[in-house]
Amino acid sequence: MELSPKLAAKFEQLQDRYPVKRSALIPMLMYAQDEYGYVTDEIVEEIARRLELRTVQVEETLAFYSMLHRKPIGKHHVQVCTNVACMLRGGNELLEHAKKRLEIGNRETTSDGMFSLEEVECIGACTGAPAIQVNYDFYENLTVRSFDRILEELDKGKKPAPTGVITGALHERNNLETPLISKRWGIKDSHKIDVALQHGAYQALEKALKHMEPAQIIDEVKKSNLRGRGGAGFPTGMKWSFVPKDSPKPKYVICNADESEPGTCKDRPLMEMDPHQLIEGMVIAGRAIDAHRGFIYIRGEYRYVLDIVDAAIEEAYSRGYLGKNILGSGFDFDLLIHTGAGAYECGEESALMESLEGKRGNPRIKPPFPAVVGLYGCPTIINNVETLSSVPSIILEGGEAYANRGTPKNGGTRLLCVAGHVNKPGIYEIPLGMNMKKFIDEVAGGVRGGKKLKAVIPGGSSCPVFKADEIDLAMDYDTIAKAGSMLGSGGMVVIDEDTCMVDMARRIMHFYAHESCGWCIPCREGTAWLRKMLDRFHDGMGRPEDIDNLNELAKNMLGRTFCPLGDAAAMPTISIVTKFRNEFEDHLQGKCAYKSAEALMGSR
Amino acid sequence: MADTKLVNLKINDRDVQVAAGTLVIEATRRLGIEVPSFCYYPGLSLQAACRMCLVEVEKMPKLQTACTLVATEGMVVRTDTDQVRNARKFMLEFLLTNHPLDCPVCDKGGECELQDMVFRYGADTSRFVEEKLHRPEEKWSDLVYYDAPRCILCFRCVRVCDEGMDVKALGVGMRGAHSIIIPNGGDHLDCEECGMCIDICPVGALTSGTYRYKTRPWEMQYVSTICTHCSNGCKTTLSVRNHEILRANNRDLSGINKEFLCVKGRFGFDFTTHPERIKQPMLRKGEKLHAVSWEEAAQFAATRLKEIHLAQGPEAIGFIGSNRTSNEENYLLQKLARATFGTNNIDHHRTADYTGLVTALGDRATDSMLTMDELYRSKAVLVIGNDPSNQNPLVGWQIRSGIRHNGAKLYLLNADEVKLQRKATQSVILGSTKEAAAVHWLATGEGNLSQELAGKLGALKSALEAEGELAIVFGSSVSGAAIGDLVSFASKLNGKIRFMVLGDYANSRGAADMGLLPDRLPGYGYVDHATASGPFARNWGASVPGKPGLTAPQMVEAAQSGKLGALYVVGANPLAHFGGQGVGRGKLPLLIVHEMFLTETAQQADVVFPAASAYEKDGSVTNTSGEIQLLRKAAEVMGPRSDFDLLRILSHQLEKIGVGKAFHYKTPGAVFEEIRKVVPGYGVQPAGLLTGGAEPTLPQFSKNGHAPYDVPVDLIRTANDNLFTSGTLGRFCTMMQSLPEAEAKS
Repeated sequence: MELSPKLAAKFEQLQDRYPVKRSALIPMLMYAQDEYGYVTDEIVEEIARRLELRTVQVEETLAFYSMLHRKPIGKHHVQVCTNVACMLRGGNELLEHAKKRLEIGNRETTSDGMFSLEEVECIGACTGAPAIQVNYDFYENLTVRSFDRILEELDKGKKPAPTGVITGALHERNNLETPLISKRWGIKDSHKIDVALQHGAYQALEKALKHMEPAQIIDEVKKSNLRGRGGAGFPTGMKWSFVPKDSPKPKYVICNADESEPGTCKDRPLMEMDPHQLIEGMVIAGRAIDAHRGFIYIRGEYRYVLDIVDAAIEEAYSRGYLGKNILGSGFDFDLLIHTGAGAYECGEESALMESLEGKRGNPRIKPPFPAVVGLYGCPTIINNVETLSSVPSIILEGGEAYANRGTPKNGGTRLLCVAGHVNKPGIYEIPLGMNMKKFIDEVAGGVRGGKKLKAVIPGGSSCPVFKADEIDLAMDYDTIAKAGSMLGSGGMVVIDEDTCMVDMARRIMHFYAHESCGWCIPCREGTAWLRKMLDRFHDGMGRPEDIDNLNELAKNMLGRTFCPLGDAAAMPTISIVTKFRNEFEDHLQGKCAYKSAEALMGSR
Repeated sequence: MADTKLVNLKINDRDVQVAAGTLVIEATRRLGIEVPSFCYYPGLSLQAACRMCLVEVEKMPKLQTACTLVATEGMVVRTDTDQVRNARKFMLEFLLTNHPLDCPVCDKGGECELQDMVFRYGADTSRFVEEKLHRPEEKWSDLVYYDAPRCILCFRCVRVCDEGMDVKALGVGMRGAHSIIIPNGGDHLDCEECGMCIDICPVGALTSGTYRYKTRPWEMQYVSTICTHCSNGCKTTLSVRNHEILRANNRDLSGINKEFLCVKGRFGFDFTTHPERIKQPMLRKGEKLHAVSWEEAAQFAATRLKEIHLAQGPEAIGFIGSNRTSNEENYLLQKLARATFGTNNIDHHRTADYTGLVTALGDRATDSMLTMDELYRSKAVLVIGNDPSNQNPLVGWQIRSGIRHNGAKLYLLNADEVKLQRKATQSVILGSTKEAAAVHWLATGEGNLSQELAGKLGALKSALEAEGELAIVFGSSVSGAAIGDLVSFASKLNGKIRFMVLGDYANSRGAADMGLLPDRLPGYGYVDHATASGPFARNWGASVPGKPGLTAPQMVEAAQSGKLGALYVVGANPLAHFGGQGVGRGKLPLLIVHEMFLTETAQQADVVFPAASAYEKDGSVTNTSGEIQLLRKAAEVMGPRSDFDLLRILSHQLEKIGVGKAFHYKTPGAVFEEIRKVVPGYGVQPAGLLTGGAEPTLPQFSKNGHAPYDVPVDLIRTANDNLFTSGTLGRFCTMMQSLPEAEAKS
């Protein structure tokens, strides 16, 4: 088919960029869709031809990703997030309003082809809830009025200014905060290399390349007690040390920037305001394990962030921080940013690698673990954005000093996003081990409107919830685990007394059912069943036996699914049914007694 | 195997020793302990998707999937605890949430793995009260239908199509609970239509266009026999109701092909009930053939044969046999020719030079033949002049499986590109150069080849010389002296070298082995050599003519030109194949034919006897790799008789009028007993055959000082059959003919 010069150039660039051609599949589909509005038959064939794939391989991959469309959609794709953080702040009401305003239903397009409306899962704007995306543009902290204004301007052919930096990242620092990896946030043009260099960027790289052996780097990271910030909290230094030293295969470093755990939006500001810190961390990681190639896998929704990071990568190349013989050390490292296309499952490390190889985002059988058999079957380390962004600080100040910022075995600082019913939703960098209650009250400004606290999701929607009286806890991995939950990805959601916990459980299950990859039976069928059951229950058609059934079905998923997504769906469900059983029993009397969320609409 | 490390583990308190690297699920099966699974399928890649095989392992906090867990020394596994039982029960409960419980009308009912699992491990109640997901059923081809709601997403079909068949026509679409299997053509399949996906489906999600909604599995009888199409000899289990074949598969995984069948083996059985089947004996009266009684036809044939025999002598009668009739029938036909009529005018349509291979190998023939199983196990395979995926599907499957499971290396030497090339280590495309010339070059370094081709052949030669063993598989283009070249080249290679020559049709090898050859007796002994003919003469109580007879093309030529008095044709169409003067009989006085359909030859006949197909008779056949297997009568069509019966009838008629001795064998088995005694290489033990196995023949051949072997150009003619054709039979396989893929191939 005849491609536009721009798309043809993009295709040319993408198809030769990867060690294996097929890897270019998802980016090619995304960029083609950007131009045509959807993936046409001709695009499928063209891409298949270019990547030497069969069309069915293209079809099966593209069918997996929720951002890729096989049918035409409107010029302006209005995507309203109703996941937990947005729901608590009026996301559902915004969606209902949008339906009325556009006179279409969910997943429908206006007759003039201008607008499509879609209810979407967490878009990573939790601290700016309620939020929407129009195509790739974020609009946050919306009200009915500001939403209408956006539509009006779009209707007139204008583009309303999207939210720049994510809401809640820039704020007056609380004195309990200890900015380390967020230290350059707020500096004008901090994403540009000159500004970053003026403020200390790439000093750690210089130290690591010129004054440290790879083994020393790993040692420092081990000493720092840095634990993975993506959710599982695995000690980073140990992960790096699993990479076989004598492997004849190439090794890879992957940055997992597929931030999509509901409630979590910390990697977004880290990349948009300090991409060089991440690049620096990745080169150091590459040096540590003797890898010469890195990939940043960023979720498809974060396109503007991708563009920022991509520009930063180009700058780093031009200044010799990437490429051949970095800083004269003889060490080579290439880095590439790669877009996802809408799949929470791709945050799971092995599913991410499948996706990066241009396949459906199904997780892989483990063992073998990625450190031994990872991307393209080669040894690979894969770390979260925040984890890798912490590496330069560790190298600069030393592992021990970094460790001392936190508590034993929980080294350093971490970014916490706090969303939901607090006065000051935002992203805060605090030392590990800070008391949760103190954090909510003093840093996040307490529960909004003088309401009483009902529950807290400590680290993203997959974590079991705490009741209001359970949060007098040190926020470190071990203490939270001991208390029965997880620090997770740092996405804290605060829930006030007016919130229906049945609705909460329902919405959480909707997410996991939507995101289940479908590979294994208990997750695929379990999440779908629980979702239907919770819908029915919340609608007032519950039966007494459903309460125990919910609990038992979730327990039957726990620990038996192929990957942790099943656990992620089961754990919050079990905790909500157990801890808020009274609310479920109340629902048996009839309809939900709570307003599903405070109607923000029109109040501003 | 001696140096394989062994590990000891305990499963349900029982000790078991397995090779290191064995999966726990295989170790449990070794003990006869069932660990249920849907997605685990031996030979295909691991999935761990269905979670049915969860087991408890000491020191591991979570249940483990036995299908991915490798047994280690000292491992303690339990498959019988409450936790395991519960896990299975709830997994099935999950599966049934979206599975339509339409078992009463589902084709798979009664043989459904899900049904069986729920029966054995499931809960007795269902807690699911929500609405089920539904999608309408899709028709992907005349042969394959997909019912998404029934699909349990075990991905066996996707894997067998990709890994097993290398067709890759199936994929997975959507995600989560909405996941489905998708075909490569968008809404239809564009593939080899092998039906492996239907066969391997544990539930009723993929159903067969030829079988669906026809019957229930428990209403049928199951008869395992051998596929009657190509020469590879796949075992097929025919599902039969009221003498009608409704389905063919090989779900018990027995036989040389295990579960493998191609489109012909799986769907090519409807010729048996084709309306054009000949069902009565027919006699020419004037211009036309008329249905007559058995007595009339048999008496006419015997009387006329006697007249011509008396008037013109033995050499005025010619016999052309079949490459799809049984060994017993072929043996009887040559016995009729040699013992009753005293002529060596007997041949068949040769599609591969089996004679040439045995002759070239000489006394090495006994242990140089390659079986299908040895082909799978070979570390290196050389294919010359054939497209196995298309012409010899089981050979293709064995080669692909060997590459996948054992890391075998594949070398190709072909005129054109073939599908297997994707899997080949090295491949030489010859273009206009003949395979025989390339083989000659390999053997002698002589020949007029382009420098480029010589370079490529040189590289191939070096690679083959570096191998420690080699399986050589070749088609009809390597025949006569070229086989001599091939054997001489191979003799300079390392290790064990085995050969397989690929013919067409189900019993081509058997036809040659049974002496449907003008110069060779059964077992390839020379007709003019007393050491070879002596045992036959003694056994038959008749003399064996010592003068070599006419070949099939020579007979047809002699027939058309009036030099032959009678031509007796069994299951063959020589006028169409060899007719130098078109398909007419020319000046031939008498033409007798055994046939299933009115082929070009049958239309010209004076007498036509209605013949049974291979699916309607007992007997044995020998596949192209020289393995004997038993045919078992599965169905009956009123009218036709097996060629065994027809030859018996004729022999009795002849005896009555003083020609030869009647055949007094009561069953084909009795003929096989004689074959075992007198035919060199066929002295196999019957026990293996009777239990459904394949017994390799061990040719015993002595050159006895004969001149170097060669065959006339064009005597060996490939039938050029592909996946969707099968000589005469293929023309009457209605379902196969209707496939768009079949049309595309022709």
